[in-house]
Amino acid sequence: MELLGSSSSSECNLGILETLSDDAIEEITESYSGLFTTVESLIAGDSSVVEEKELVSHVSTLCKYGLASLVRDHFLSSLQQAFDKGGASTFWLHFDNFRHNQHSDYGEEIHQALCGALEEISIEKQFLEKCLSTLVHALHSFEEQSSDSERVELFSRFQSMLSSTLMTTLPHHFPEILHWYFKEKLEELSAIMNNEDDDDDAQQLESDGMDLDDKLRSKNGEMDVDQGFSRHDDLVKNIGKVVRNLRSIGFTSMAENAYASAIFLLLKAKVHDLAGDDYRTSVLGSIKEWIQTVPLQFLNALLSYLGDSVRYGTTTTTPSGLTSPLASCPSPSFSKVVTPSEGIVRWKLRLEYFAYETLQDLRIAKLFEIIVDYPESSPAIEDLKQCLEYTGQHSKLVESFISSLKYRLLTAGASTNDILHQYVSTIKALRAIDPAGVFLEAVGEPIRDYLRGRKDTIKCIVTMLTDGSGGGGGNANGSGNPGDSLLEELMRDEESQENVGFDDDFHTDDKQAWINASRWEPDPVEADPLKGSLSQRKVDILGMLVDIIGSKEQLVNEYRVMLAEKLLNKTDYDIDTEIRTVELLKIHFGEASMQRCEIMLNDLIDSKRVNTNIKKASQTGTELGESELSVDILTSTILSTNFWPPIQDEPLVLPGPIDKLLSDYANRYHEIKTPRKLLWKKNLGTVKLELQFEDRAMEFTVSPTHAAIIMQFQEKKSWNSVDLAAATGIPIDVLNRRVNLWISKGVLRETRGRESNGNMYTLVESISDSGKNESEELLGGDEESERSIASVEDQLRKEMTIYEKFIMGMLTNFGSMALERIHNTLKMFCVADPSYDKSLQQLQSFLSGLVSEEKLEFRDGMYLLKK
Amino acid sequence: MFLNLGFCFHKKKKCFFLDSQCYYVFTDFKKTEWHAVASWTWDAQDETCGICRMPFDGCCPDCKLPGDDCPLIWGACNHSFHLHCILKWVNSQTSQAHCPMCRREWQFKE
Repeated sequence: MELLGSSSSSECNLGILETLSDDAIEEITESYSGLFTTVESLIAGDSSVVEEKELVSHVSTLCKYGLASLVRDHFLSSLQQAFDKGGASTFWLHFDNFRHNQHSDYGEEIHQALCGALEEISIEKQFLEKCLSTLVHALHSFEEQSSDSERVELFSRFQSMLSSTLMTTLPHHFPEILHWYFKEKLEELSAIMNNEDDDDDAQQLESDGMDLDDKLRSKNGEMDVDQGFSRHDDLVKNIGKVVRNLRSIGFTSMAENAYASAIFLLLKAKVHDLAGDDYRTSVLGSIKEWIQTVPLQFLNALLSYLGDSVRYGTTTTTPSGLTSPLASCPSPSFSKVVTPSEGIVRWKLRLEYFAYETLQDLRIAKLFEIIVDYPESSPAIEDLKQCLEYTGQHSKLVESFISSLKYRLLTAGASTNDILHQYVSTIKALRAIDPAGVFLEAVGEPIRDYLRGRKDTIKCIVTMLTDGSGGGGGNANGSGNPGDSLLEELMRDEESQENVGFDDDFHTDDKQAWINASRWEPDPVEADPLKGSLSQRKVDILGMLVDIIGSKEQLVNEYRVMLAEKLLNKTDYDIDTEIRTVELLKIHFGEASMQRCEIMLNDLIDSKRVNTNIKKASQTGTELGESELSVDILTSTILSTNFWPPIQDEPLVLPGPIDKLLSDYANRYHEIKTPRKLLWKKNLGTVKLELQFEDRAMEFTVSPTHAAIIMQFQEKKSWNSVDLAAATGIPIDVLNRRVNLWISKGVLRETRGRESNGNMYTLVESISDSGKNESEELLGGDEESERSIASVEDQLRKEMTIYEKFIMGMLTNFGSMALERIHNTLKMFCVADPSYDKSLQQLQSFLSGLVSEEKLEFRDGMYLLKK
Repeated sequence: MFLNLGFCFHKKKKCFFLDSQCYYVFTDFKKTEWHAVASWTWDAQDETCGICRMPFDGCCPDCKLPGDDCPLIWGACNHSFHLHCILKWVNSQTSQAHCPMCRREWQFKE
């Protein structure tokens, strides 16, 4: 047996066996068995000085024969056996209670068990190490020259043996227990810190001098400084002890994992708690502060408490490791002065990154809501911006936001206005996050695509532009009125746009080009190279809205129609807000494109002047005749027709006195502005009139057409529609529609016509027989939407009809043609007087109109004549 | 027939139209405010200026605002042009200027 042992220890020199004498063999056997017994008794703990001496002699004998390694192996394996039997199994026994339970219920118990078990196992370990050092001592006495290296090697072998023993028997729930332990302790600590903060504040309020005293005393290491401090220190000391014990049994990384995860958990809870659903305050600052005060304080204290043992590897539990914890654990008020160690800095970065990421995820998930109440939620946006700068996870934002947009906004249920408002807020918010507009580009794409598919997009945009300045409008009280913000946007860009110039940069000279070039910055890496470079990206809101529509001309056109409508309905010549809007739009779209709008505004200003002039002239004129009306009741808007959108002209015969008044007015105009004359558009304008009935008087504001109709009833109680149409000069179908207003107001009553003369309209003379007028209110509402200005679509249709013949001719010749080809052919051949300047979309909508009129057929992407 | 109503306006008030007639509904024009819309036009025979081919109701190529800012002028021959257009023409002629339309000597109409 011993031969086997010796051969295994010096196998490369088998020859040596032959040289051994019988004496020597006997000596070895004796020493070996002696070693067995002494080691056993040593490890059992009841060894005496004599036995130790015996051990030394046995060891030296065996070493003499070159069997030192055998001694070491045997010693270690017996240590392991002893540890297996005693330490390890009893250690785990402590935690059996917690195997199946909710750990949260056992706050203090876990603490007790863990501390006790660790204490016990370290004592056990210390004892075994003591045995080991005895052996080392014995080995030393034999070979003097063997230095510390052997001792170090032995101890490290022992250490790894120890931890591997523990690891192999590790129960599943132990890491969990550790986690809960640290979590609990940290929460406790955090609570203490909070109290302490409050205390500090209170103290500082009381007296600053006291505070200084405190600091001085705590610097001297006195314990009576503050209860909070001492509790805090105790707690950290306890935790430190646990961590150190864990490290000593080789659970370094497990311990670190446990307290790291506990810290992160706490941090996450804190972030969620602070951030919540409130977007009106910035939370990043307070989170950072919290990191500084709670987890970093803790780590700082812990790491400095552990002191030298921070270095991983061999750990000693010698009393020297227990240097005065107070000296190495600075009180919280001084931690800022102490230069942070590398470990702390690393921890700080880790914690901050985690905090940023958590907050960022939280905010990104709620980005839609944040943007909905954007101007109020700008602190949240600012937080998110900082987080993203740190983490660089912009793509996450883009993805999640697009999906929530698609789910919540870009649905048939959302009104175009709402979508536009959200779009504008999105632009603003994302512009704050990312001035380059890369992510805005990505996020805006789906919204733009969706809006392009909606018919009323242009109208809504223009309404947003114009309504914001409405002031007295009903929606002015809404705090987040987006129209307002859009107008503000116009004004905000006023300065910045001036040097940028208009969309087409024809005027940029070399100097400007050089400035631009020197300002160039590379796109962020996330930029989509297909979408053009930074210089082409538009970050201004109006630019992006125009992007939806396609060209600024369309927007300006739509605006012009809307402006015309507005101006025609004005009776007081008050156009200050419109002037302002036009001025702002001029800055954006260029003077040239807003020229016509300006002329329209000018017409109103001129009208006002002319109106006062004419009235002045007429006052000095002749006395009014019996049946003549004073010119005072008449005001007029005089248009330069060429610059207004086409105006729908309807024939109308006005009542005699009014007609006379108008022609007088026109004559006076002719006198004042001699070579110019007026052409009345009798159906346009506004009439405020008071109707007096048998038993009541009512005031109305209506169009001249309506006024002309009702005035016919002065002399005749009821009219049939044919006669009424003849008297007013209104086509009968139009008349039937117009009369609805008076019917809905309860002034007229309609009776179905019995004969070919159409319906009868009868005046309702007293309220008593105007019973059922409410039900027909709807008809009146329908009526209101009649516009005096031809809409853009109507204009387009009118303009396109010129090309209808061309298209028909083309299709007869070629059979069938694709949209693109028709477009190109028109462009090629219609260069003469009304040159073809329509876009592909415009042509397409016109052609689909022709298809619905059954003049054309559309099959497989080709247009052909309907047979 | 209307007498049956037992109420007649012109017994109480002065009637503006015909003294002998009564009304079923009455519009007091003194209380009426009529805001009318009109367009102005130059009282010229032609639609467009013979020089710049722009409509008279618009303005000449150099002007931005139509109307008083870009008036018409008549010559003795009764041809009319934008004032700015004909002035340019007259000034560009070295000797006596002629009407661009009828080649008669150009004189402004008094």
